[in-house]
Amino acid sequence: MSPTPGRTALLLRDVVKRFGTHTAVDGVSLDVAAGTVVSIVGPSGCGKSTLLNIIAGLLAASGGRVDVFGEPLTGVNRRATYMFQQDALLPWKTVRGNIQFGLTLRGEHGPAATEKVEGWIERVGLKGCGDLYPYQLSGGMRKRVAMAQCWIVQPDVILMDEPFGALDVHTRLRMESEILELWAGSHTTVVFVTHELEEAIALSDEVFLLSAGPGSRLVGRYPIELPRPRHLIDIKAEAAFHQVYREIWSDLRQEVLKSYGHSR
Amino acid sequence: MDTVVEKRPWLLVWQVALAAAVLLAWEWAAAFEVLDSFFFSRPSAIARRIAEWIGTGVLWVHVGTTFTEAVLAFAIGGSLGVLFGFALAGVPLLAALLEPYIRIANALPRVVLAPMFLLWFGLGIWSKVALGVTVVFFIVFFNTYRGVREVNGVIVDNARMLGASRAQLVRHVLVPSALTWIFSSLHISSGMTIVAVVVGEYLGASRGIGYVIAQAEGVFDTTGVFAGMVVLAAWVLAVGALIGRLERRLLRWKPEYEGARTGRLA
Repeated sequence: MSPTPGRTALLLRDVVKRFGTHTAVDGVSLDVAAGTVVSIVGPSGCGKSTLLNIIAGLLAASGGRVDVFGEPLTGVNRRATYMFQQDALLPWKTVRGNIQFGLTLRGEHGPAATEKVEGWIERVGLKGCGDLYPYQLSGGMRKRVAMAQCWIVQPDVILMDEPFGALDVHTRLRMESEILELWAGSHTTVVFVTHELEEAIALSDEVFLLSAGPGSRLVGRYPIELPRPRHLIDIKAEAAFHQVYREIWSDLRQEVLKSYGHSR
Repeated sequence: MDTVVEKRPWLLVWQVALAAAVLLAWEWAAAFEVLDSFFFSRPSAIARRIAEWIGTGVLWVHVGTTFTEAVLAFAIGGSLGVLFGFALAGVPLLAALLEPYIRIANALPRVVLAPMFLLWFGLGIWSKVALGVTVVFFIVFFNTYRGVREVNGVIVDNARMLGASRAQLVRHVLVPSALTWIFSSLHISSGMTIVAVVVGEYLGASRGIGYVIAQAEGVFDTTGVFAGMVVLAAWVLAVGALIGRLERRLLRWKPEYEGARTGRLA
């Protein structure tokens, strides 16, 4: 199943999304190479999440085309899992049950599945918490469960919609480091949506910039050529990081100012 | 409710004390002829009557009958309610089509149906079961419908992304989500089922607690009426406690039921 690097994991051509008379996304085209991490950034309300939901197959595009590993996307994207901004754990399942959920849905039971689940509980640092319910966990721990839930089924693509937005800065940094570690040991393609440029640069191989909504389009793509493995704590102090940051920020700034103009 | 649970030991003492005070006042009022015991009976006579029923074994015949009817009504009405709740929540067109008729049917007072059911299903248990079903069905139906409709959309999306089919979505997401609503309705519907079944017996039967009360009323035997009421009350309390336990077990993932486990974190 694992795709060979160099292939195109996701291909979007002139994707349009209209809600009634309101055009959220107006003709976005982009490619994501398999096995890379890309970020989609843009001012609030620019349709980043809409675009991600189209890639997930949860929203149908009003126009244009989405290909997943060369095949046109119809219905839910079966090769992707999704880490949501909001809490998406099943409150009636324990940590163990939640992490196992994807396997259960695929009919994987028995000792092999159990072993896998226990392995992931440990991997995301929740050893001894397997029998707890989501309401008994802190926000950071819930995100860890969600992370394991997404990765355990070994999807080709993982979509993330500002999954750590609600966490404090330090927890956030730790979670991002863990994501990078998980990613480094896999062939997974990661699409990350965020409004935090620093986060986007630090994690990604490429950053896509969307213009201010409504009717947002792709206004820039910036390859990030910082060496890997990256140490997120140190990376923000490096000169190369700042250079890329300044470059993208000068473009993003304009879009942010435009979005201020709209809301005024 | 939370504060009630915390203070339970003391509260229980006071609750028992209150009941004892009322019963004693009633007993004395009857003994000193402030209350006419022909009209109001007295606690000691009621207790003796219940003991007598237990002694001769007639109590079990009547309680057994009412119990069977209530359980059948509850099972049939509950299943139909859950089934229709899911069907209508899943097919909005069906819901839109049937909505006015469901509202009309629910607005009917059930008591007027009782004589019809007697005609249709006879004097045996089935006319009472039918009456009970009309009560349980609507309560469970509305709660299931609401529970399914108000399921968290993000959780549904997450399950779909993880590969859930429609059937799996129902089993792993919609049913557990609706269960909260269904359970909150069970307390009410279990009590109402018993009421409906007893009303059915009261209007025409040859057995059951409702029949006992009707018979006692027919001969102005107030002790018999009160004794029947006490049996009924004890039973409703027992059923309520049972549902409470089941609820705590099945809904232990909800913060409100934390008392059932030791919440280590958060």
